[in-house]
Amino acid sequence: MTTSAAIQAALRGDNALPLRPVNQVMDLERLGALHQSRLSFMRTLVRRIMRERWQIEPVRFELDPQGYGTVIYEITTPNKCYSFVLFSDYLSPDERNDRVIATKWDLTMALVDGQVDDIYLEKLRQNVPKQEAGRVDARVFVLSRANRSARNFDYVVDQLARGKQPDVAQIARVGYLYRTTAVYGSGKLGMADWEKVSTRHPDFNRPFAAEMFVCLMLRNFSLLQAEHIAQHRAPESYNPMKPEIKRFFGIGNSTGLGMAPYLINHPLLINQWVEMRELALARVRVLGNINKRITQQFPELLERCAIHTEQTVTEDEWQTNNNRQVLEDLKAIRVYTAKGIDSWDTLLKWSEQHCSLQGQEMLVSILLELYPELVDELEDYHTAEEFLDLDPVMPLQQLKQVIEDRYQWALSYDFDTEGAKDTFWYRSEEKMEPRLGNAREEDGKDKQMALGVGYAVRKCYDQLCDYIAEYPQHSTARFMVAQPKLRGIVRRIQSMNRCIYGDIQANLLDRDILPMHLLRAKLAFFGVGKFDPRSKLWVRNTMFQGAPLLEDIGNTFNDDWFMPLAPAQQGDL
Amino acid sequence: MHVSMIELKAALRRCFEATGYYVGNYEDAANMILWLEKHGLKGLDELQRALPYIGEDSSKPLSTVIYEDSTSAIIDSNGRSALNCIAASVDLAHAKALENGIATVTVHNCHNRMFILKALTDCGRRGISVTAYWQNGNQTVTEHTAAIKAGERYPSYSEAVTNLSVNDQDKQALTIICSSRVDLTSSLQQSKGNRNACYISAEQIRLNKEYSVDFGIDIDENLWAEINRIGAGVLVENNERSRQGAGGR
Repeated sequence: MTTSAAIQAALRGDNALPLRPVNQVMDLERLGALHQSRLSFMRTLVRRIMRERWQIEPVRFELDPQGYGTVIYEITTPNKCYSFVLFSDYLSPDERNDRVIATKWDLTMALVDGQVDDIYLEKLRQNVPKQEAGRVDARVFVLSRANRSARNFDYVVDQLARGKQPDVAQIARVGYLYRTTAVYGSGKLGMADWEKVSTRHPDFNRPFAAEMFVCLMLRNFSLLQAEHIAQHRAPESYNPMKPEIKRFFGIGNSTGLGMAPYLINHPLLINQWVEMRELALARVRVLGNINKRITQQFPELLERCAIHTEQTVTEDEWQTNNNRQVLEDLKAIRVYTAKGIDSWDTLLKWSEQHCSLQGQEMLVSILLELYPELVDELEDYHTAEEFLDLDPVMPLQQLKQVIEDRYQWALSYDFDTEGAKDTFWYRSEEKMEPRLGNAREEDGKDKQMALGVGYAVRKCYDQLCDYIAEYPQHSTARFMVAQPKLRGIVRRIQSMNRCIYGDIQANLLDRDILPMHLLRAKLAFFGVGKFDPRSKLWVRNTMFQGAPLLEDIGNTFNDDWFMPLAPAQQGDL
Repeated sequence: MHVSMIELKAALRRCFEATGYYVGNYEDAANMILWLEKHGLKGLDELQRALPYIGEDSSKPLSTVIYEDSTSAIIDSNGRSALNCIAASVDLAHAKALENGIATVTVHNCHNRMFILKALTDCGRRGISVTAYWQNGNQTVTEHTAAIKAGERYPSYSEAVTNLSVNDQDKQALTIICSSRVDLTSSLQQSKGNRNACYISAEQIRLNKEYSVDFGIDIDENLWAEINRIGAGVLVENNERSRQGAGGR
């Protein structure tokens, strides 16, 4: 078991491990090329559930033959008991909308502390289906909703009702029965704050663990519901789905711009996630012994990743080209390593010369996969106290030096070039939905969110230089009294300077900014797969594809659902 | 009505952002109010009193340092609310204390000084001990003090009603003493004429926080509506074009 002290010693000082450089790692395009890994939050959650053998049982199962009604699962962990409450309601096809602005959904659900009695269930029934228009209390800590992938759902039900199995090739195209369109936690809509979840519910004390758990429960319910409907429709011909096919169903997800501001507004947390991933890679680079097991497993994982990528369906030309390039990269890595692997360091350096960013990051995820003993224990170090503290005593000359050292990417950017400040990020009056605007063509720039960190640093630097010319001996505190408008950015600069990786390096105001990269980075930390961009502003993806089923809990578990593949299908029962 | 702490913080941030507070200041203001309320010190009551005036600060001069030496400073806040200026004053005291062991900063013409408790707590967390003292009131004068030890997470707080007469010199003034060497504590003396005195220990403040973490925060519906009404000023009008900016089909 590692410790905070061991982690700090590996990150800093004389005995630090060789981390990848900041400018390489925090480049937005590279962050937008990340893939799931064994440190992704879905993987760490499932490891916890399987190791601790959580007991998850439906205690109320009131679905009519069409699958509408109420279901409550009770979850008993070594620490506590929770309830997952789900409402299934009829939704006409023309009301089905994945956008945040929707007001009705096929399924709505809540994760609740403790057991749910009839009175509390009624309270939930009055509010959970309304989502943002409802209110809940601090017993609830996740609220979510999902819409059917109607064509897929109906097809699966038809097949099961006819005693057949779903065609795996079709699942490979759309690997889910439901898409979740929002998963709210951390105090939204009256729910328990993260401070409560992290301190009172040790089972969910890692970032987004509770939100991921709700998605896992939704995935399992979706399979149960499809079987339930098929069985009632044709009890005589019905056959349950084979477990290996069930496991290949994940849960769909549509992620839009809302996720992008999160990455900018939680820089210390994002830095922590990046630090742990990079520390894991550095451990593998230095300590990863290349023995017989590894030399056998490595090409197998290359092959698996290639097939997984081939099975990823997207209509997006950009992503299609990326996937094609990843396939070429994987092939090149296979050829390069066919006669043996000198060291991971050599291979990683070679990949930086010969592979695309997505190919390089795929290699990183594969290397992490090979060494659970070096990687998994870092899963307990993904939280951060998010204090952006001012260092009031820092001399201004030092502050200037910090900016020059840590924000060279921002200083080297020419904000006077055409298009450099053409994008603005704002909240719409429609459900406060985050949106992008063109500053030259649309109103609202005066209400933009403060996401242009690079530009703010540039302005701060210029004013700082002017101030230093007049008051070279002043401290940061004195500068802040004189220039309170710069308080936010100075505090951020100093705080991020205390981190290894710091801020994401991109001008979010640029006309050509691709928010997709931000979404992809966060989703990769979550652990999703099958990225399917629908525009530069939102992406479909699949969660928990290949993960164990509820009925697998308590059985042997090899934690090997990385880059899942379609199961071989040898005819129906 | 019941809200979570993060909901209150987000609404307050929008409210102050819409009022014209700067980046960094609107987070501070939201955090100061939330901190008081979360720790049982009636931050929302204080906000209710401040709310009618918060828009006026944008036309007032910024705080100015009117005297300064290595261990002390006097700052004129020019009638501003502590919500947008007191953190910088505490930071100045903090910096001087780090350099010289102990420092005093006096702030004049500053309203809503109760909000200093969050800034003071941040100092404690970061290893600096602080105490603050101020008087308040136009007819009846109340006095207040708060203190936190180095490395602690919670301050103590005392207040009392006095029989002092209003002193124009002291009006809207606040004294901050900061030390990197000495652990400062404070409580009001049993002065003749003081009444309704109360002392809230750091432990009681911690317990108040635990309750808020467990159950969230109750807020008057009208105040909540007013915070959100002001905060709506940061929202951009919806139209078909803007819907495209969300990736809508």
